[in-house]
Amino acid sequence: MMTFLITIITYIVYRLAKFLYSQRQLPFFHPLLLAPAMLIGIISIVHISASEYIGDAKWLSHMLAPATVAFAVPIYKHRQLVLKYISTILASITAGSLIAIFSSYVLAEAINLKYDFVTSILPRSITTPIAIEVSKETGGLPTLTTVFVIMTGVVGGIVGPMVIKWLSIKNPIAKGLALGMGAHGAGTNKAMEYGEQEATFSSIGMIFAAVITFASGILLIPLLMHLGQLFSL
Amino acid sequence: MKLGKIILQVLFIHVFLLAGMGLKHIIPLPIPASMFGLAVLFIALCLNIIKLEWVEKGAAWLMAELLLFFIPSAVGIVNYDDMLSLKGFEILILIAVSTIIVMGMTALTAEKMCGRRRNSQ
Repeated sequence: MMTFLITIITYIVYRLAKFLYSQRQLPFFHPLLLAPAMLIGIISIVHISASEYIGDAKWLSHMLAPATVAFAVPIYKHRQLVLKYISTILASITAGSLIAIFSSYVLAEAINLKYDFVTSILPRSITTPIAIEVSKETGGLPTLTTVFVIMTGVVGGIVGPMVIKWLSIKNPIAKGLALGMGAHGAGTNKAMEYGEQEATFSSIGMIFAAVITFASGILLIPLLMHLGQLFSL
Repeated sequence: MKLGKIILQVLFIHVFLLAGMGLKHIIPLPIPASMFGLAVLFIALCLNIIKLEWVEKGAAWLMAELLLFFIPSAVGIVNYDDMLSLKGFEILILIAVSTIIVMGMTALTAEKMCGRRRNSQ
Protein backbone atom coordinates (compact mmCIF):
# COMPACT_ATOMS: atom_id res chain seq x y z
CA MET A 1 0.00 0.00 0.00
CA MET A 2 2.77 2.39 1.05
CA THR A 3 4.70 1.48 -2.08
CA PHE A 4 1.69 2.35 -4.23
CA LEU A 5 1.11 5.65 -2.44
CA ILE A 6 4.77 6.69 -2.66
CA THR A 7 4.84 5.85 -6.38
CA ILE A 8 1.75 7.98 -7.05
CA ILE A 9 3.01 10.92 -4.97
CA THR A 10 6.42 10.83 -6.65
CA TYR A 11 4.74 10.77 -10.06
CA ILE A 12 2.51 13.74 -9.24
CA VAL A 13 5.45 15.76 -7.86
CA TYR A 14 7.50 14.90 -10.96
CA ARG A 15 4.70 16.07 -13.29
CA LEU A 16 4.32 19.27 -11.29
CA ALA A 17 8.07 19.94 -11.38
CA LYS A 18 8.13 19.33 -15.14
CA PHE A 19 5.20 21.70 -15.61
CA LEU A 20 6.84 24.44 -13.52
CA TYR A 21 10.08 24.06 -15.49
CA SER A 22 8.21 24.39 -18.78
CA GLN A 23 6.73 27.65 -17.50
CA ARG A 24 10.02 29.18 -16.31
CA GLN A 25 13.21 27.82 -17.87
CA LEU A 26 15.37 28.73 -14.86
CA PRO A 27 18.22 26.30 -14.09
CA PHE A 28 17.08 26.11 -10.45
CA PHE A 29 13.68 24.94 -11.66
CA HIS A 30 15.19 21.85 -13.29
CA PRO A 31 12.83 18.95 -12.47
CA LEU A 32 15.76 16.98 -11.11
CA LEU A 33 16.37 19.65 -8.48
CA LEU A 34 12.80 20.76 -7.89
CA ALA A 35 11.16 17.32 -7.59
CA PRO A 36 13.61 15.84 -5.04
CA ALA A 37 13.49 19.10 -3.06
CA MET A 38 9.70 18.99 -2.89
CA LEU A 39 9.74 15.28 -1.99
CA ILE A 40 12.27 15.87 0.79
CA GLY A 41 9.90 18.51 2.12
CA ILE A 42 6.91 16.16 1.95
CA ILE A 43 8.60 13.19 3.64
CA SER A 44 10.00 15.32 6.44
CA ILE A 45 6.51 16.70 7.14
CA VAL A 46 4.95 13.22 7.32
CA HIS A 47 7.99 11.79 9.16
CA ILE A 48 9.17 9.21 6.64
CA SER A 49 12.94 8.74 6.56
CA ALA A 50 14.77 9.06 3.23
CA SER A 51 15.82 5.39 3.38
CA GLU A 52 12.23 4.27 3.92
CA TYR A 53 11.10 6.49 1.05
CA ILE A 54 13.74 5.04 -1.30
CA GLY A 55 12.68 1.54 -0.30
CA ASP A 56 9.04 2.27 -1.06
CA ALA A 57 9.84 3.93 -4.39
CA LYS A 58 11.59 0.77 -5.63
CA TRP A 59 9.22 0.32 -8.60
CA LEU A 60 10.33 3.62 -10.02
CA SER A 61 14.05 3.01 -9.44
CA HIS A 62 13.66 -0.44 -10.95
CA MET A 63 12.55 1.13 -14.25
CA LEU A 64 16.09 2.42 -14.80
CA ALA A 65 17.11 -1.08 -15.89
CA PRO A 66 14.53 -1.52 -18.72
CA ALA A 67 15.17 2.15 -19.67
CA THR A 68 18.83 1.25 -20.24
CA VAL A 69 17.77 -1.72 -22.38
CA ALA A 70 15.51 0.65 -24.36
CA PHE A 71 18.54 2.61 -25.61
CA ALA A 72 19.01 -0.23 -28.11
CA VAL A 73 16.13 1.29 -30.09
CA PRO A 74 17.70 4.68 -30.96
CA ILE A 75 21.04 2.98 -31.72
CA TYR A 76 19.22 0.60 -34.06
CA LYS A 77 17.31 3.44 -35.73
CA HIS A 78 20.49 5.47 -36.27
CA ARG A 79 22.74 2.52 -37.15
CA GLN A 80 23.57 3.92 -40.61
CA LEU A 81 24.68 7.27 -39.17
CA VAL A 82 26.66 5.51 -36.45
CA LEU A 83 28.47 3.39 -39.02
CA LYS A 84 29.19 6.37 -41.28
CA TYR A 85 30.76 8.42 -38.49
CA ILE A 86 32.08 5.59 -36.35
CA SER A 87 35.70 6.84 -36.27
CA THR A 88 34.68 10.39 -35.29
CA ILE A 89 32.33 9.04 -32.62
CA LEU A 90 34.87 6.62 -31.16
CA ALA A 91 37.77 9.11 -31.15
CA SER A 92 35.88 12.03 -29.62
CA ILE A 93 33.94 10.01 -27.06
CA THR A 94 37.03 8.06 -25.95
CA ALA A 95 38.87 11.36 -25.49
CA GLY A 96 35.90 12.78 -23.61
CA SER A 97 35.45 9.74 -21.35
CA LEU A 98 39.11 9.60 -20.36
CA ILE A 99 39.25 13.35 -19.71
CA ALA A 100 36.05 13.09 -17.66
CA ILE A 101 37.52 10.46 -15.34
CA PHE A 102 40.99 12.07 -15.07
CA SER A 103 39.82 15.66 -14.61
CA SER A 104 37.26 14.62 -12.00
CA TYR A 105 39.94 12.65 -10.17
CA VAL A 106 42.53 15.43 -10.18
CA LEU A 107 40.00 18.08 -9.12
CA ALA A 108 38.55 15.80 -6.44
CA GLU A 109 42.04 15.29 -5.01
CA ALA A 110 42.63 19.05 -5.19
CA ILE A 111 39.66 19.78 -2.95
CA ASN A 112 40.45 16.80 -0.68
CA LEU A 113 37.29 14.81 -1.20
CA LYS A 114 36.71 11.74 0.93
CA TYR A 115 37.49 8.34 -0.61
CA ASP A 116 33.90 7.23 -1.24
CA PHE A 117 33.03 10.67 -2.62
CA VAL A 118 35.85 10.35 -5.16
CA THR A 119 34.78 6.89 -6.39
CA SER A 120 31.21 8.17 -6.57
CA ILE A 121 32.09 11.27 -8.61
CA LEU A 122 34.27 9.62 -11.29
CA PRO A 123 31.48 8.09 -13.42
CA ARG A 124 29.35 11.28 -13.16
CA SER A 125 29.38 12.31 -16.83
CA ILE A 126 27.35 9.31 -17.98
CA THR A 127 23.69 8.52 -17.84
CA THR A 128 22.48 7.48 -14.37
CA PRO A 129 21.58 3.80 -14.67
CA ILE A 130 25.02 2.99 -16.04
CA ALA A 131 26.86 5.46 -13.78
CA ILE A 132 25.25 3.70 -10.81
CA GLU A 133 26.49 0.34 -12.08
CA VAL A 134 30.05 1.67 -12.55
CA SER A 135 29.89 3.23 -9.10
CA LYS A 136 28.77 -0.08 -7.55
CA GLU A 137 31.50 -2.05 -9.33
CA THR A 138 34.23 0.38 -8.22
CA GLY A 139 33.13 0.92 -4.63
CA GLY A 140 31.24 4.21 -4.93
CA LEU A 141 27.90 5.02 -3.36
CA PRO A 142 24.98 4.84 -5.83
CA THR A 143 23.01 7.64 -4.16
CA LEU A 144 25.96 10.04 -4.26
CA THR A 145 26.67 9.08 -7.86
CA THR A 146 23.05 9.86 -8.75
CA VAL A 147 23.39 13.28 -7.14
CA PHE A 148 26.64 13.97 -9.05
CA VAL A 149 25.10 12.80 -12.33
CA ILE A 150 22.17 15.15 -11.75
CA MET A 151 24.50 18.06 -10.91
CA THR A 152 26.46 17.31 -14.09
CA GLY A 153 23.28 17.35 -16.16
CA VAL A 154 22.07 20.66 -14.76
CA VAL A 155 25.52 22.30 -14.98
CA GLY A 156 26.16 20.82 -18.44
CA GLY A 157 22.94 22.31 -19.77
CA ILE A 158 24.24 25.74 -18.74
CA VAL A 159 27.95 25.51 -19.67
CA GLY A 160 27.44 23.43 -22.85
CA PRO A 161 26.19 26.29 -25.04
CA MET A 162 28.97 28.52 -23.60
CA VAL A 163 31.69 26.02 -24.57
CA ILE A 164 30.23 25.70 -28.07
CA LYS A 165 30.26 29.50 -28.38
CA TRP A 166 33.77 30.02 -26.91
CA LEU A 167 35.37 27.40 -29.15
CA SER A 168 33.14 28.52 -32.07
CA ILE A 169 32.12 24.94 -32.86
CA LYS A 170 30.18 24.98 -36.13
CA ASN A 171 29.79 21.29 -36.95
CA PRO A 172 26.42 19.90 -35.76
CA ILE A 173 27.97 16.48 -35.19
CA ALA A 174 30.62 17.97 -32.89
CA LYS A 175 28.00 20.02 -31.00
CA GLY A 176 25.78 16.98 -30.49
CA LEU A 177 28.58 14.63 -29.42
CA ALA A 178 29.96 17.19 -26.94
CA LEU A 179 26.56 17.76 -25.32
CA GLY A 180 25.78 14.03 -25.10
CA MET A 181 29.25 13.19 -23.78
CA GLY A 182 29.41 16.03 -21.26
CA ALA A 183 25.87 16.08 -19.91
CA HIS A 184 24.11 12.81 -20.89
CA GLY A 185 20.29 13.12 -21.12
CA ALA A 186 20.24 16.74 -20.03
CA GLY A 187 22.75 17.57 -22.77
CA THR A 188 20.60 15.77 -25.32
CA ASN A 189 17.65 17.83 -24.14
CA LYS A 190 19.69 20.99 -24.80
CA ALA A 191 20.84 19.63 -28.19
CA MET A 192 17.19 19.47 -29.29
CA GLU A 193 17.19 23.30 -29.17
CA TYR A 194 19.97 23.36 -31.80
CA GLY A 195 18.36 20.95 -34.24
CA GLU A 196 17.56 17.38 -35.15
CA GLN A 197 21.07 16.38 -36.23
CA GLU A 198 22.56 17.76 -33.01
CA ALA A 199 19.94 15.86 -30.97
CA THR A 200 20.59 12.60 -32.80
CA PHE A 201 24.35 12.83 -32.34
CA SER A 202 23.88 13.87 -28.75
CA SER A 203 21.96 10.67 -27.99
CA ILE A 204 24.56 8.66 -29.92
CA GLY A 205 27.26 10.42 -27.90
CA MET A 206 25.46 9.70 -24.65
CA ILE A 207 25.16 5.97 -25.39
CA PHE A 208 28.76 5.61 -26.53
CA ALA A 209 29.92 7.64 -23.52
CA ALA A 210 28.07 5.20 -21.29
CA VAL A 211 29.64 2.15 -22.92
CA ILE A 212 33.18 3.57 -23.18
CA THR A 213 33.18 5.11 -19.70
CA PHE A 214 31.87 1.83 -18.42
CA ALA A 215 34.70 -0.13 -20.00
CA SER A 216 37.43 2.35 -19.09
CA GLY A 217 35.94 3.13 -15.68
CA ILE A 218 36.00 -0.48 -14.56
CA LEU A 219 39.71 -0.62 -15.36
CA LEU A 220 40.83 2.93 -14.60
CA ILE A 221 38.95 3.86 -11.45
CA PRO A 222 40.37 1.07 -9.23
CA LEU A 223 43.83 1.85 -10.62
CA LEU A 224 43.52 5.58 -9.89
CA MET A 225 42.17 4.96 -6.40
CA HIS A 226 44.98 2.51 -5.73
CA LEU A 227 47.67 4.93 -6.92
CA GLY A 228 46.07 7.72 -4.91
CA GLN A 229 46.29 5.66 -1.75
CA LEU A 230 49.90 4.71 -2.42
CA PHE A 231 50.92 8.35 -2.76
CA SER A 232 49.04 9.51 0.28
CA LEU A 233 50.91 7.04 2.51
CA MET B 1 -5.40 2.05 -26.02
CA LYS B 2 -2.14 3.91 -26.40
CA LEU B 3 -1.38 3.41 -22.70
CA GLY B 4 -2.09 -0.32 -22.97
CA LYS B 5 0.33 -0.57 -25.89
CA ILE B 6 3.05 1.22 -23.91
CA ILE B 7 2.55 -1.05 -20.88
CA LEU B 8 2.68 -4.20 -23.03
CA GLN B 9 5.84 -3.01 -24.78
CA VAL B 10 7.54 -2.06 -21.50
CA LEU B 11 6.74 -5.57 -20.24
CA PHE B 12 8.13 -7.01 -23.46
CA ILE B 13 11.36 -5.02 -22.98
CA HIS B 14 11.65 -6.80 -19.63
CA VAL B 15 12.09 -10.06 -21.55
CA PHE B 16 15.42 -8.66 -22.82
CA LEU B 17 16.33 -7.50 -19.35
CA LEU B 18 15.73 -11.06 -18.11
CA ALA B 19 17.87 -12.39 -20.96
CA GLY B 20 20.55 -9.90 -19.83
CA MET B 21 20.30 -11.23 -16.26
CA GLY B 22 20.76 -14.75 -17.60
CA LEU B 23 23.83 -13.70 -19.60
CA LYS B 24 25.33 -11.94 -16.58
CA HIS B 25 25.06 -15.24 -14.76
CA ILE B 26 26.96 -17.08 -17.48
CA ILE B 27 29.55 -14.42 -18.39
CA PRO B 28 31.70 -13.50 -15.38
CA LEU B 29 32.38 -9.84 -16.31
CA PRO B 30 31.48 -6.81 -14.19
CA ILE B 31 28.88 -5.70 -16.74
CA PRO B 32 25.35 -4.89 -15.53
CA ALA B 33 22.45 -7.06 -16.70
CA SER B 34 20.82 -4.03 -18.34
CA MET B 35 23.84 -3.57 -20.66
CA PHE B 36 23.64 -7.21 -21.71
CA GLY B 37 19.92 -6.67 -22.25
CA LEU B 38 20.65 -3.64 -24.46
CA ALA B 39 22.99 -5.76 -26.58
CA VAL B 40 20.47 -8.61 -26.87
CA LEU B 41 17.67 -6.24 -27.93
CA PHE B 42 19.95 -4.55 -30.47
CA ILE B 43 20.97 -7.88 -32.00
CA ALA B 44 17.35 -9.08 -32.05
CA LEU B 45 16.39 -5.93 -33.97
CA CYS B 46 19.30 -6.25 -36.42
CA LEU B 47 18.53 -9.91 -37.15
CA ASN B 48 14.82 -9.10 -37.63
CA ILE B 49 13.91 -11.53 -34.85
CA ILE B 50 11.58 -8.85 -33.53
CA LYS B 51 10.01 -5.89 -35.29
CA LEU B 52 10.85 -2.30 -34.35
CA GLU B 53 7.13 -1.57 -33.83
CA TRP B 54 6.99 -4.15 -31.03
CA VAL B 55 9.25 -2.10 -28.76
CA GLU B 56 9.32 1.40 -30.26
CA LYS B 57 6.50 3.02 -28.22
CA GLY B 58 7.52 1.42 -24.94
CA ALA B 59 11.18 2.35 -25.42
CA ALA B 60 10.26 5.93 -26.30
CA TRP B 61 8.20 6.21 -23.11
CA LEU B 62 10.96 4.76 -20.92
CA MET B 63 13.51 7.19 -22.34
CA ALA B 64 11.16 10.19 -22.20
CA GLU B 65 10.40 9.58 -18.51
CA LEU B 66 13.98 8.72 -17.57
CA LEU B 67 14.14 11.62 -15.09
CA LEU B 68 11.26 10.16 -13.06
CA PHE B 69 13.18 6.96 -12.40
CA PHE B 70 16.11 8.57 -10.69
CA ILE B 71 14.22 11.05 -8.54
CA PRO B 72 13.92 8.51 -5.67
CA SER B 73 17.72 8.07 -5.51
CA ALA B 74 18.18 11.85 -5.58
CA VAL B 75 16.10 12.16 -2.42
CA GLY B 76 18.85 10.15 -0.71
CA ILE B 77 21.04 13.30 -0.76
CA VAL B 78 19.62 14.21 2.67
CA ASN B 79 21.69 11.35 4.12
CA TYR B 80 24.90 13.23 3.22
CA ASP B 81 25.40 16.34 5.32
CA ASP B 82 28.60 17.16 3.44
CA MET B 83 26.67 18.01 0.31
CA LEU B 84 24.83 20.86 2.01
CA SER B 85 27.99 22.56 3.29
CA LEU B 86 30.93 24.37 1.69
CA LYS B 87 32.12 21.00 0.33
CA GLY B 88 28.93 20.83 -1.72
CA PHE B 89 29.79 24.15 -3.34
CA GLU B 90 33.35 23.00 -4.08
CA ILE B 91 31.94 19.86 -5.69
CA LEU B 92 29.68 22.01 -7.85
CA ILE B 93 32.72 23.99 -9.08
CA LEU B 94 34.61 20.72 -9.70
CA ILE B 95 31.75 19.43 -11.84
CA ALA B 96 31.45 22.68 -13.79
CA VAL B 97 35.18 22.85 -14.56
CA SER B 98 35.41 19.17 -15.49
CA THR B 99 32.30 19.36 -17.69
CA ILE B 100 33.69 22.38 -19.57
CA ILE B 101 36.98 20.52 -20.25
CA VAL B 102 35.15 17.33 -21.30
CA MET B 103 32.77 19.09 -23.68
CA GLY B 104 35.58 21.19 -25.14
CA MET B 105 37.80 18.16 -25.80
CA THR B 106 34.95 16.13 -27.29
CA ALA B 107 33.79 18.96 -29.57
CA LEU B 108 37.31 19.80 -30.78
CA THR B 109 38.17 16.15 -31.48
CA ALA B 110 34.91 15.58 -33.36
CA GLU B 111 35.26 18.78 -35.38
CA LYS B 112 38.84 17.96 -36.35
CA MET B 113 37.89 14.43 -37.41
CA CYS B 114 34.93 15.65 -39.47
CA GLY B 115 37.01 18.37 -41.11
CA ARG B 116 39.71 15.89 -42.09
CA ARG B 117 37.06 13.60 -43.46
CA ARG B 118 35.68 16.35 -45.68
CA ASN B 119 39.14 17.28 -46.98
CA SER B 120 40.05 13.72 -47.86
CA GLN B 121 36.87 13.16 -49.85
